[in-house]
This record gives sequence, C-alpha cells and structure tokens, in this order.
Amino acid sequence: MSVLQLTTRPGLRARTRRITRRVDMIDTSLWALTAVIFVFLLAPIVTVVIFAFNQGELGKQTSVITGFTTRWFAAAWDDPSLRSSLMVSLKVAAPTAVIAVIIGTAAGLAVVRHPWKPVRRTLEALMYYLLVVPEIVLAISLLIYFTRTNFTLGYMTLIAGHSTFPIAVVALIVRSRVVALDGALEDAAADLGARGWRSLVDVVLPQLLPAMITGLIMAFTFSFDDLLVSEMLATPTVSTLPVYIFGETHAGITPNIYAMATLMLAVTLIGFSLIGLFYRFFGRRTGGDQPSLTSTVAGH
Amino acid sequence: MSAVAAAPGRTSASSRAGSPLALLAWAFERLTPLLPLVWLALFFLGPLAFTIIYAFANATFGGVELGFTLTNFQQALSGFYLHIFLHTIVFAAMGTAGAFVIGMPLAYVLGRKAGRYKTVLAVAVLIPFWTSFLLRTLSWETLLAAGGPIQAVLNFLHLHSGQLGWIDTNKAVAIGLIYGYLPLMVIPLFVAFDRVPAEILEASKDLGASRLRTFLNVTLPMVRPGVFTAILLTFVPMTGEFVVPALLGGNKGVLMGGLIYSQYLGAADYPLGSAMAVLVMLLIGMVLIAFSRLTKGFDEVGAPA
Repeated sequence: MSVLQLTTRPGLRARTRRITRRVDMIDTSLWALTAVIFVFLLAPIVTVVIFAFNQGELGKQTSVITGFTTRWFAAAWDDPSLRSSLMVSLKVAAPTAVIAVIIGTAAGLAVVRHPWKPVRRTLEALMYYLLVVPEIVLAISLLIYFTRTNFTLGYMTLIAGHSTFPIAVVALIVRSRVVALDGALEDAAADLGARGWRSLVDVVLPQLLPAMITGLIMAFTFSFDDLLVSEMLATPTVSTLPVYIFGETHAGITPNIYAMATLMLAVTLIGFSLIGLFYRFFGRRTGGDQPSLTSTVAGH
Repeated sequence: MSAVAAAPGRTSASSRAGSPLALLAWAFERLTPLLPLVWLALFFLGPLAFTIIYAFANATFGGVELGFTLTNFQQALSGFYLHIFLHTIVFAAMGTAGAFVIGMPLAYVLGRKAGRYKTVLAVAVLIPFWTSFLLRTLSWETLLAAGGPIQAVLNFLHLHSGQLGWIDTNKAVAIGLIYGYLPLMVIPLFVAFDRVPAEILEASKDLGASRLRTFLNVTLPMVRPGVFTAILLTFVPMTGEFVVPALLGGNKGVLMGGLIYSQYLGAADYPLGSAMAVLVMLLIGMVLIAFSRLTKGFDEVGAPA
C-alpha cells in the first residue's frame, strides 16, 4: 500500500524498485540459509537410514559405504539382548507414560484451579525445578535414594525414576489448556446439574484430551529414550534399550543398531502421521479451535 | 502471572456444602494436588535431599559415612575437576550461542516467512527432536569419522584436505551439542515469532519504518521472552550433558556430566560426585536468578494470556 503511494511519484520509482530487489535478496538468502540448516538437522537421521543398509566390515559399522545389504535388519531381529532390552524399554515406558499423564494432569489442573494459593505456588515451583534439574543429577540422586532406603532395583524403581520429568512436561501442556478453557461450558453444565466429579469427567477432561494425549506420547518417548536414569538404575536383568546401545558403542557401532534405529524412526514417523490425523479430526469436529500439533508440542 | 490470577473460581463455586456427595466432591477437589505432591516428594525431592546430604559426607574405602565435611567441595573445586567444571560452563555457553545463531534465522523463517509451509517445516524440525538423542549423537560418530561423509564433503569443497581428525576432540563435542539442542532452541523461538501479530508489523511499515527497523524495534522486543526461554532450555541441560561428550569427546572432551557419572559407575566416590552435582545445581540456580532479573521468567511464555 505504501509502496503504491510511493510509486505514484516518478522520482521515487527507481528507488522503490531497488529496495524491493534488496528485500528479495534478503528473503532469498534467508531461505538458502534455512535450506542449509535443514540439511544439518536431517543429515544424521538420513545417515542412520543409509548406513543401516551398509555392509560394514568384520561385523562393525564403517564410515564409508562398503556395499548394500538388508541382513542387519534380520540380525537385529535375531539379537536376543537387543530384543530383551527392547521389551524392557516398552514395559517401562508404557506404565511411565500412564503415570505421568495421571499425575501430570492432576498437577496441571490444580496449579490453575486449586482454591489455595500456597498449593498452586508450590506445584508451580516444583514443575519448574523438575525442568531445570539436569538428568545426571536426578539419576545419581535416585540411585543413592533407592539404595539407601533399601528399595530393590527393578521395574518399579525404573518406572518411578522415569516418571518424574515427564510429569512436569504433561503438567505444563495441560496447564496451558486449562488456562484457555471456556468457562461458559462448565457454567452451563452446572446449571444442568453437573457439578464436581461429573463436571470434571464429562466437561473438563474431554476438553483436555488432546493435551493429555500429546503428554502421553511425550512421556513415552522420554522414557523410551532415557539413558542416564536407566544407566544408574538398571540391573543385569532389567536393562533398557538405550543402556544396551550405549554399552555396545564402546566396542564400535554395530550395524544392528542402525537397522533398529531405522525401524524406530519408521515407527516415530507413523506415530507422527497418526497424531497429525488425530488433530485434523479433532480440529474439524470441535470447530477448529483445538491447538495445532506444533503449538501443543511446543507447550503453549 | 496470568494463570494464577484467573484461578479462584468456577470449581469451588460448584461445590456447595450439604449432601455427602457434595462434601466428597469438595474434598476431592482439595486433595487432587496431594497426588503430584506426594509422588514428587518421594521420587524427586527425597532423592535430591539425599544427594545434598551425601555431598557433605565422608567417603570411606568403598563406602560412605554420613557426617559434615567440606572436603568434597574442596576436591571438586581444585585441579583437574575445577578445570572440567569451568570448561563445562564455557562449552555450555558456546553451545548455546552456536545453537542461537543457527536457530534464530531458522525460527524467523518458520514463524514469519514460511506461510503455508509452516506446519510441514515445523514438523521437519520436530523429527530430530522426537528421534532418540543417543542415536542422533551416534550418527555423528559415523558422519565425522576419518574417511567419513563429512570429510568427503569438506574435501570436495576444498575446505579441508586429507583425513578429518575431529572425532574424540572438543570440536566434535561442540558440533554434537549444537546439533542435539538445536530443536530445543528453535521451538520456543518459532512460537515467539509465530505469535507476533501481522497487523503490528504492518502498522510499523505504514508508519515508514524500514524492514530492519521494524525487526529491531518491533519484532525483536516482542520475541524477547521467547529468546530467554530458548536460551535457558538449551543452556541448562547442556551443563549436565553426558551423551555427547561420552560418544564424541573421547578422553579429551570430558564434561561435568561425564565426571559425575564416573564417580558413580567408575571410581565409586559417591560424596565427590554428589558435591559436583550440587555445584552444577548451584550454577544453574545462579543462571536462573540472573535470567529472572532480565525477564519475568518462564511465565511470560509459559502461559498464553
């Protein structure tokens, strides 16, 4: 608009054109930079997939492609330690995710709505402490704590250890939804006789469902990926996949690991697509005011 | 903060005393926070307290004797350990700066320029974020190896000749740190840029501001809280980072996280490791206080108004 006004004056036309060209150049270079950054971001992931099909040498991964093979996928599938640690990881991640969602949702609700201010303050402070304590500190603390209090290390301690950090993540995601809730719905429900528990189950929780599902997936992923807490709390019989992979890396990377990583990546991408579809479905059904996938993942 | 200000309300109004059912609802509402509070006391605050107690305990041969001594801190703050501690601070700062320099233009393009490609590109940023950190870092071991893909690219571009000796050095650790934390840096920045209302930028343009002026005087102040959040989210976990130096740093690239780890699963000097952990927490506490003076803290970005 302002450009149009300027161009009506002949002397300024050339200058405007110069400025427009310069702006185009800035945009072009910004996009070029973005392309380079995306190469940087995705290169390691592409590398894993490519090298999963690499022959390697003497059963180890090499840094150059030595030939195409699919045998590592079969090898990964047949590797008993890989399989058992994968099973342990799944058995830990699933209950961790459920616990984190239940406790995180309770925290996310209470931090906004609890009638007593000290309770809200305490919960909020705890959530932020959880986010800023480095994982290594939490990991060693849990080890000292469980050994000193004579807990036997196993599934239970691993699940308890994994659940703490995701609780904060779930609570933050849920909180941002609770803040944005439309109170009129609950007022209407109350007028129709739904109070307390009924209102929570029938009115509030359904609105929080997308946030809870995002939280569930994030908690599962966190537990599934976690190395440090698992390293400290693992026992010879209860040991997770990242612990196994980390142990293997000391003797050089085996191609099995890349093959399995490729499979996991495929699962992640399928999961992503499912969430995308889920949001599209939800967005349409509720009139499009649901949070988008990216904004929920980013926690706002 | 806005979330708390809006808090007292609806739910408490709905529970009027009288019937036993209403009483139950009243109690339920007040007792929900017990669940997170008890759980976190048991599995978060309790463990942290033990670490603090251990930091003042005496290390005996293969064991721990509770007491009060400052020798662990003295040891952690002298010689090689002090060197690693300072080295870690420098590395976390450099890694954060590196991620910021790369993340800022990316977030700007995603938030303000991408238009209808926004979602697709944002998901592309999230893919590494959702991929195992361990595996992503492991992949750099292949990429950076002597004779590997990066060497081939650099040789081709004449930026480097001969064998690439980056693996097991600080250079590899820096690359791994920046790479690993880039998504954590980009996401809050992207959200911040995305939220700047287009009308305000248009108004600035109509009032005659150049693009640079608009960016410096309008956009940048509006994304500032997001910038602080992004820097905190990157810097804080970097100070305790373990995986990257362990896989890419070799003996030369040890950081604090690895040092604490080895006190537990190597040297078995628990009190020394605990003292180091307490020092890392103190460092983070100091950074947080410094930041809370610069901004109102997480809250500005944590909850949308």
